Amino acid sequence: MARDPKYDILFTPVQIGPKTLRNRFYQVPHCIGAGSDKPGFQAAHRSIKAEGGWAGINTEYCSIHPESDDTHRLSARIWDKGDVHNLRAMTDHIHQFGALAGVEMWYGGAHAPCMESRATPRGPSQYASEFETLTYCREMDLSDIAMVQQYYVDAALRSRDAGFDIVYVYGAHSYLPLQFLSPYYNKRTDGYGGSFKNRARFWIETLEQVRAAVGNDCAIATRFAVDTLYGPGSVEVEEDGMRFVELADPLVDLWDVDVGDIAEWGEDAGPSRFYLQGHQVPWTRYIKQVAKKPVLGVGRYTDPEKMTEIVTKGYADIIGAARPSIADPFLPKKVEEGRVDDIRVCIGCNVCISRWEIGGPPMICTQNATAGEEYRRGWHPERFPKKGSEDSVLIVGAGPSGSECARVLMERGYTVHLYDTAEKIGGHLNSVVTLPGLGEWGYHRDYRETQIGKLVKKNKQSQVALGQKPMTAEAALTYGAEKIVIATGSSWNTDGTNCLTHDPIPGADASQPDQLTPEQVFSGKKPIGKRVVILNADTYFMAPSLAEKLASEGHEVTIVSGVHLANYMHFTLEYPNMMRRLHELHVEELGDHFCSKIEKGRLEIYNIWGDGSRRTYRGPGVFPRDANKTHRWLEFDSLILVTGRHSDDSLHRELNARQSEWEANGVKAVYLIGDAEAPRLIADATFTGHRVAREIEEANAQFPKAYKREVAIWGNPHSPGVNPEIEYES
Amino acid sequence: MKILIAIKQAIALDEDFEIRADGRDIEEDFFLPDLNEWDEYSLEEAMLIKERHADTPVEVVCVTIAPDSADEALRKCLAKGADRAIRVWDESMEGSDPVAIARALAAVAKKEAPDLFFAGVQSSDHAHGATGIAVAGFLGWAHSAVVARLDYTPGAKEVVLKRELEGGLSQELRLPCPAVLTIQLGINKPRYASLRGMKLAAAKPIETLAPGDIGLATNDCGESGSLARVRRMYVPEKQRAQILAGDVAAQAKALAAIIREATGS
Ligand SMILES: Cc1cc2nc3c(=O)[nH]c(=O)nc-3n(C[C@H](O)[C@H](O)[C@H](O)COP(=O)(O)O)c2cc1C
Ligand code: SF4
Repeated sequence: MARDPKYDILFTPVQIGPKTLRNRFYQVPHCIGAGSDKPGFQAAHRSIKAEGGWAGINTEYCSIHPESDDTHRLSARIWDKGDVHNLRAMTDHIHQFGALAGVEMWYGGAHAPCMESRATPRGPSQYASEFETLTYCREMDLSDIAMVQQYYVDAALRSRDAGFDIVYVYGAHSYLPLQFLSPYYNKRTDGYGGSFKNRARFWIETLEQVRAAVGNDCAIATRFAVDTLYGPGSVEVEEDGMRFVELADPLVDLWDVDVGDIAEWGEDAGPSRFYLQGHQVPWTRYIKQVAKKPVLGVGRYTDPEKMTEIVTKGYADIIGAARPSIADPFLPKKVEEGRVDDIRVCIGCNVCISRWEIGGPPMICTQNATAGEEYRRGWHPERFPKKGSEDSVLIVGAGPSGSECARVLMERGYTVHLYDTAEKIGGHLNSVVTLPGLGEWGYHRDYRETQIGKLVKKNKQSQVALGQKPMTAEAALTYGAEKIVIATGSSWNTDGTNCLTHDPIPGADASQPDQLTPEQVFSGKKPIGKRVVILNADTYFMAPSLAEKLASEGHEVTIVSGVHLANYMHFTLEYPNMMRRLHELHVEELGDHFCSKIEKGRLEIYNIWGDGSRRTYRGPGVFPRDANKTHRWLEFDSLILVTGRHSDDSLHRELNARQSEWEANGVKAVYLIGDAEAPRLIADATFTGHRVAREIEEANAQFPKAYKREVAIWGNPHSPGVNPEIEYES
Repeated sequence: MKILIAIKQAIALDEDFEIRADGRDIEEDFFLPDLNEWDEYSLEEAMLIKERHADTPVEVVCVTIAPDSADEALRKCLAKGADRAIRVWDESMEGSDPVAIARALAAVAKKEAPDLFFAGVQSSDHAHGATGIAVAGFLGWAHSAVVARLDYTPGAKEVVLKRELEGGLSQELRLPCPAVLTIQLGINKPRYASLRGMKLAAAKPIETLAPGDIGLATNDCGESGSLARVRRMYVPEKQRAQILAGDVAAQAKALAAIIREATGS
């Protein structure tokens, strides 16, 4: 099908300096865990998007010098010839598909802890980073300023040599140029501080110098947080924001604008829990009033309708996207081909971001199981190898993992029966989406539902059987499938079993009228009393989400948490607003507390650090610390047990116990995927389903095939002319 | 004991389709064929009778009047547990209206002599809602349309049922067997075929008969055996619709103006 003409404007080219963007879809800089050290990963992940129709594709933030070293997190680097060589793979592959490649030149100041290089970061003034709180920078004097500006120029020249078409001076997320501009960081009294003109000077001069060096060959872009969202005292869009754009406009070919800082960059990469598509427009729309150069904005743009509105209303000229491009690298192509309903819509969970926040393991995506696997496993997001046998497959469980497995097997041409007791595809996600703010997570289910619906029409032998009786081992064995995939999910523990004691909690029993598991809260069958205690030993969203839900419904909620409440939400950038929300709702948190026993209407809690600090050997049978005497009772009307999960794998166990009957029934193999194998993130559950579907012909597809590794090879120098042998200074 | 079920390979359409050059049907390339939704329910009702009374053997036989493209629908029924499948066709049957189809079905029923004959209330594509009851007309058997509940013990001389009427009313009836019943959606929850069922069905024969085999003459079939024929199929022109805003008085005023304009008064 051809594209809908109402989207034509998104496919008109834009001139940026000496280069042309072929359309309005643009992948803004975002980390993936590749940097310059995994060139294959970098080249494949970015060029897949070039193939998928994006016009411009960027690196992640790319350090210009060892003085800006973000280790433990993983940035790209363009420090030397070795980096140029490695990044060349990315630009070459992007160019093959007719897109432009951009590099985001980055100097972090005190936000870069320099844990690898051990260099001292420099900044406009000395300050302790509010993000990397133990790191201070040194205040630059005038010669320092000249030196750092030269770093930008040298890095720009290396970037040009690496084949980049777009060179950024990166001043969003509170990195160096913005640190000069914002009085929050800049306390100088010389020509680089004080007045707006003085605070803008560093950035303006840097742009001038970079432009003079590479401006004939490359488009010069700058990324600018036009409002840091601090109110007065930093950058506000209608003040320094617009002023700076007006001043610097002649020096840039492309404005890439967003909002926020680094310590709370979830205000930019807004999770769907708190922010809708287009959430930055109230700030960024001012920029077009002063910019004569093309402007691009971000805001989890997944819907071509909304994108068209952004362009036609004149809020931006180009649609920037990080997450939507991760969830669907082929988004532009799908719009172009009139296949809008095939778009794998980003759900806004920020699990992609969590990996960078954790410190740079390869990025994963909840929606797109192939993200990060393009190079090392050879997974293309839209192409699948043809089936390797005539085996038909029964999948029991249509949750995230089972439905992904079914989708991929069907794409490969296998006959698949997807079987579930629920009336809808989605598994536990169907409950999760009813939690406050998590409605958009349902796109994960919707995508699979739509695709499977189409695939079933293509192969009449395939079938989705919903609303069925629970599958028994007998029924599975005699079903007639050669391969059986068990994707029966997991449940919350009913007896208080948790990661701290690895045992049930005495008295914990969700069959009692005043105790509930999260599933029982969702089902709404058990009445919930006024005073609710949530007993938590899970570090993700369930406890805070239930607290928010119940407190908004008028309950008095206390969370007793033996682990760092919502710790993983730091990594997904949901933490700050989640805490604000709980605070607004007067949810009490008793942190560092857990529970020793439960009786009707009350639980005994203790401070987890209440035992003695001195450890002594006291002989067998005796605890080596002084006893914990902090135990006290806490009353509740209803107690919710968010202590841990367990796999619902009994069908798998039964089938394994009857392995001797497999052959007679024509069963060749049984696999276990998703939460049924081990409770995990939705992204990882989805991945296991996808992987088994891709590798089902392997001798034992239960266990992953080896993937291609990208690591330094002994004896080979990273940069030419370096001796790779051990050599000491004498 | 035997239940005969009339089934149909019905056609669904995507958003985009084209009308055939002769203007009398949709271009076949755009067909999305599947077993008529109502037939899923009549088959399931037969299967429930078969399974509920294991001591009395019940034979479930499906029949369709269609070319071999409908074998897929018959195989679906076999995969779900039907015992036999019959397909009646030759070129003379092209252009049959519901009554001509019913004549052929009745001829099969005479040959098979079932205790119960099920058909769907209607088909999801043409929605005539005529075939089942026309079969009863040819056979002269007791009949009931839009059956929403059924009580039947194999071998019994009568069937007790509830049928849907207009306005949310229901009617309970007792009919002597053999009887023709048209089965309504929602009477049960149709099962899915297992992979084993599908594999077995693929190996089962489909009995194919020509009109002559069931005692039909050429002029009983096709256009010559039909009183109705399709003259033209077309997409109706879009009508104008408009939502009248404001309170009742304002709406009434606006409506009066529209009527005046349309009638020129
Ligand atoms: C995984 C991930 C890593 C990111 N890393 C960077 C980065 O290195 N440099 C940068 O300027 N922005 C980075 N961002 C922010 C995005 O460029 C973008 O501003 C933000 O995600 C909002 O756009 P979106 O709503 O389209 O995702 C990152 C975003 C994501 C999702
Ligand atoms: S991980 Fe979540 S937020 Fe990130 S791209 Fe995928 S779906 Fe979107």
